Order: sequence, then C-alpha cells, then structure tokens
Amino acid sequence: AAAARRPWRLFGAMCLLRLPQITQPLEKGEEEMAALMGQIELEKSCYSDHEIRKLQEEERLQRRKESLDDDDEATGKTVIMAQDLEDKWEQKFLQFKAAPRITDADKKNIRTSLNRKLDSNLMLLVKQKIGNQELWLLPQVEWQPGETLRSTAERAMATFLGDQIQAKILGNAPYGIYKYKFPRAIRTEDNVGAKVFFFKAFLQSSDFTQTEPKADYLWVTKNELGDYLKPEYLKKVNRFLLD
Amino acid sequence: VSLVPPESVSPHVLCSFSCSSLLCQRSPLRGSHWQSSVLTLRTSLPVRAQPKKKKKVDVRREQAQKDRMKKKLKKLEKAAPELIPIEDFITPLKYSDSNRVRSLPTLSPEESERRVLLLKKWCLFKQKQDEAEKKAIQCLVESQQEALKELRLESEELYQAAIRRDEELFPFQREGPTYTPPLPGYDPPEGKCVDITKVYTQ
Repeated sequence: AAAARRPWRLFGAMCLLRLPQITQPLEKGEEEMAALMGQIELEKSCYSDHEIRKLQEEERLQRRKESLDDDDEATGKTVIMAQDLEDKWEQKFLQFKAAPRITDADKKNIRTSLNRKLDSNLMLLVKQKIGNQELWLLPQVEWQPGETLRSTAERAMATFLGDQIQAKILGNAPYGIYKYKFPRAIRTEDNVGAKVFFFKAFLQSSDFTQTEPKADYLWVTKNELGDYLKPEYLKKVNRFLLD
Repeated sequence: VSLVPPESVSPHVLCSFSCSSLLCQRSPLRGSHWQSSVLTLRTSLPVRAQPKKKKKVDVRREQAQKDRMKKKLKKLEKAAPELIPIEDFITPLKYSDSNRVRSLPTLSPEESERRVLLLKKWCLFKQKQDEAEKKAIQCLVESQQEALKELRLESEELYQAAIRRDEELFPFQREGPTYTPPLPGYDPPEGKCVDITKVYTQ
C-alpha cells in the first residue's frame, strides 16, 4: 500500500566495530589487588613436589659443604637438580619473543590501519558528501522502499568496503537515531529533514587486502571520535557505544 | 464326538495315528483318535517317549532360577545410584603431610593493616566500575528505545521488521582477547595432547 509521503528522508548507517585483540592494561588499584591476591594464595598453599625436591637437594648440598666429604650416593653420577631444571626453563622462556602489544601503527599513529590500539574497539569512519559539505560520518546510505533498514545498513557497509566483508550485525533493531532538519534553503514541504538510523556490527574477518575502500576512511577509537564528528552527531553516537 | 462303526474305517485313517506302527497293531481299532481309551493304552507302552518327570523338574528349576535372578536385578535397580565424586573437592592424602606446610614469616600488624585498607579500596573501586557499567547499559537501552519510537512514527512495517527476532544472532561465538597479539608466522612445537580425565558412569 502506498503510504503518504513523509517529510523525513530515511538513512541507514552502520557502526562497524573491530573488537579488541589484547587485554587492557590493569589500573593501579587492580594491580595492587592482583599482587595481594597472589601473596595470599602463596601463604595459604602447601609445598608442591618440585619445591620439596628443591628443598631436599639444597639440604644435601649444605650437608656436603659442611662435611667436606663426598656422599656415597653421588659418586660419579650426574644428577639433574631441580635448580638446573628451573634455569633451563627460564632460558627457554627468555628465548621466546612475543608480538609487541604496541604496534608500529600505534607509534606512527596511522589511523587507516586496523593494527593499532589492539586493546580497544575501533570504529569505521568515512568521508561523505552531504549537501555540499564533505563530512566524516559512519557509513550511511539512503533507504529505498522495499528493503528493511538493516539491509540498508548492510548496503552502506558493502558500498564502502566491498561485498567480501564479514560482519555480525547485532539484531534487526536500530541502536540510535540522529535527526536533523535541512537548512532552510533546500527545505520543502515534502523534504523537511533526514533521520539516520544507526546499526551496530562486529567485524569478523580482518583482511582487507582484496577490497580497496571507495572513499577516505579511518579506524578510530571512541575517544578519538571527537576529532572528526560534529558535536550533535557525536552526542547521539556516544550513547550507544560501550567502552 | 461321533462314533463311527469299525467296518467303515478305511486303512489310511488308521495310519493317521501319531503313534508307531507297532502301536497300531497292538491297539484295537478306534474310529476317532480323540477317544480317551487310546490315550490310556499309550501310557502303558513307554517305548520311545522321554521321561516326563525330569522335564517338569528341569522346567521348574529353570523358572525358579530366572525368578531369583530377576528379583536380584530389581533389588539392585531399586538401590540409589552412586554419586559421582567431584575430583576437585577431594584433597589427595599426600598433601596432608606436615612437611608440606609452608614456613613463612608471620604478618606484621602494619602489613595486615595495609591489606585491610587495600581490600576496602578494592570494594569501592569495583562498586564504581559496576555502577558505570550499569549506567552505560541503561543509556544504550534508552537510545535504542528512542530510535524505535522514531521509526514507528515513520512507518509501521519498518518498525515491525525491526522488532522481529534475529534468528542468526545466536549461538554467538567469539575468541576472547589475549595478553599479546598473535605472532605472524609462528610455528607451534609438535606434540600430542593425551586426555587422562576420569569419566564416571552411573
């Protein structure tokens, strides 16, 4: 049924989140508490087999030093001491080099790469032309009759990042709305303003080598959003971002 | 039972007796083999029949054995099933030796004071964190409600499509964050993991 023409134009926007890959650093209170918990656990524990073996061997060494004559047990036999094992394990651990938590992209502040700020959520921002202005926005596309708003948001994602993107959209319902009226110059009876509905999705795949994004894009954290978004828009977006 | 005169009996009727040919010769001609006198005659001629007393006793003994087994099974089934022991709650005996007790210096009063104060600070920290989380979730829910309200004002069918349940969302799986990011080109050492957990069946 043809509905009466509403004065608001509808847009579907997608907030694509890259979830954190490493844990956030502990705060001061958390670190102190973690140390205390470790100490209490140590105090309440019993000796393990390895520790008992180590204590016995230390005793034996002491006795040998004091008595200054060879024990009848250890003549000619090479016994692996618990301390030697520990040293060996320590050496092996030091040889292993883990990947750094602060990547190169972090240091150079390359905001277009996905490899920065691995401990926080990253959001996709694209530069779009609205009216006669170039603005940094969450990717949005106008709604066309015959599709649900969720598919509009998916289309918005596909136009900017290609079809091969794999993202898990969290439900059919929008997470937020930004309503604005057009400037008086282009406002008509039928075209008062626009409503932008935001949808949230988690990025599943992290390789972008095949697809070249069509426009200028950035991956930013919640704190950095303020550098790019307009204040009113930012206020509405911040409401549905948990960080 | 109809009595047929012996003269009219044909030879093939005689042969239909289920006894041996010997019996046929010895027993007098009977018309119908349902007559009881034939049966009495048979018992007096135990030529090839099995001893019946042993059969009955066997059958009875077997049945009695079966009943006893069934009763035992029922008793066992009625008993409550054994509880599966929780391995984590049972301390192995070797850890209750006295040489296992750790020898550490006792806590000084300053240290215990510091600990108590730290625990109180932690309490407050966690309370604030929890409140912040709840506030953020509340904000998110409000934002969503507002969006749905506006959508309803726009078009009813879009609203209905939006509030429909998303079947593909659950089960939702995601790998949690680790301490360091994955090392590109890392070759883990070879090895086989042998699972030695004890499995109990009731």
